[in-house]
Amino acid sequence: MAGFADLNLPAGPDKKGLQSLLEAAARLGYSAVALNHVIDFKEKKQEIVKPASPSELFPSLPIVQGTSKRIKVLNRLTLIVSDPSHCNLLRSTSANIRLYDIIAVFPKTEKLFHIACTTLDVDLVCINVTEKLPFYFRRPPVNVAIDRGIYFELLYTPAIKDSTMRRYTISNAISLMQICKGKNIVMSSAAERPLELRGPYDVANLGLLFGMSESEAKAAVSTNCRATLLHGETRKSACGVVYTVKKPRKVEEEETTLPACKKAKTQA
Amino acid sequence: MVRFKNRYVLCEVVSEDPRCRQCIEDRAVGLAVREAIARAHGDYGLACCSVSFTVKYLNAYTGTVLLRCRKDFYRLLCSALPFVRQLESRNQRYPCFFNTLHVGGTIRTCQKFLIQYNRRQLLTLLQNCTNEEERRSIRQSVLSCSLTEEQSQSGDEEDDDDTETD
Repeated sequence: MAGFADLNLPAGPDKKGLQSLLEAAARLGYSAVALNHVIDFKEKKQEIVKPASPSELFPSLPIVQGTSKRIKVLNRLTLIVSDPSHCNLLRSTSANIRLYDIIAVFPKTEKLFHIACTTLDVDLVCINVTEKLPFYFRRPPVNVAIDRGIYFELLYTPAIKDSTMRRYTISNAISLMQICKGKNIVMSSAAERPLELRGPYDVANLGLLFGMSESEAKAAVSTNCRATLLHGETRKSACGVVYTVKKPRKVEEEETTLPACKKAKTQA
Repeated sequence: MVRFKNRYVLCEVVSEDPRCRQCIEDRAVGLAVREAIARAHGDYGLACCSVSFTVKYLNAYTGTVLLRCRKDFYRLLCSALPFVRQLESRNQRYPCFFNTLHVGGTIRTCQKFLIQYNRRQLLTLLQNCTNEEERRSIRQSVLSCSLTEEQSQSGDEEDDDDTETD
């Protein structure tokens, strides 16, 4: 079963805050977490910084509760685009972009949403939850995005903090659900403090509020997140990804059954 | 057919402030949950969920809370739990949040889950132990926690009857 993952933890300059966030996430049961670096083009021109590797930032990663593995920390880049010229950054082969595991785009207009779903090389498309969407979703670009393996991201922390945000979150989420039928959705927090994080079971329950069915809501926190990570790896390596899991073999099995190649030789 | 079916939601109160633990009492927790339901689902939600709503069990040391509500409305309750932001009692507010652990149909299933969960927590604590004394006492607690028919031995659960006659 895919572990739970939270793909959006804002990466601020405060190391101790990040460490406490990581510990809270590990305690709640998240096996993977992505540190989000946001680039906004409305402000002065910003360079894409090289992300610091997690082993430099955090000397010891906390262990996920319920398993005995350490939490995985990944890097993620979010581009807030309000103009088509900003997308050129993605096409350019800047060396720094390749260092990020996940790339997300936050489109502000309908045309950019269409471009992001159909042509841009990203893993996640963020859906605005803090204000009423200026455009309606249409079925063609959403279907193309689902075929390409792009996931739509919904944030839940603004809903917890403020009542007006809650209304916008729910209305935007429900309009998205009506178009995409609950597929390809990823729910993540944008928690700045450990108190704003919620456990994966609770986030799946919030998905019920947004109009998803139970299985879709649980998938939004676990399997869809893992699929996004694999999509990101595919993008980095430019081919495909086969994910193998080692199954532990019991000792008695090895004694009684011979491996297939040996069997053929003895029979012949 | 004639029995009222309930759902028991097992949650854990997580907070940064250690003084919040003293504030965990059944009235404060019940008020906080009701307020969250009212904010999320309005008057209808609050009215539905309070039909058979009680706080059945509290453990202030571990922050474990067991809530009960009707089976028809447990989704309203579960979906409103993430919105709890603070606990208030005796004019003191502590920011905290609820982490849902398990939803069960009877108190006994929740108890079984809680025993397994606590055992896992004790094992995690065992790894972070510094003192040999502490190690020994934790090992003893892990060995002694189990669910027995007559009387529970884990020390903090009480075997409760789950059928209601209403």
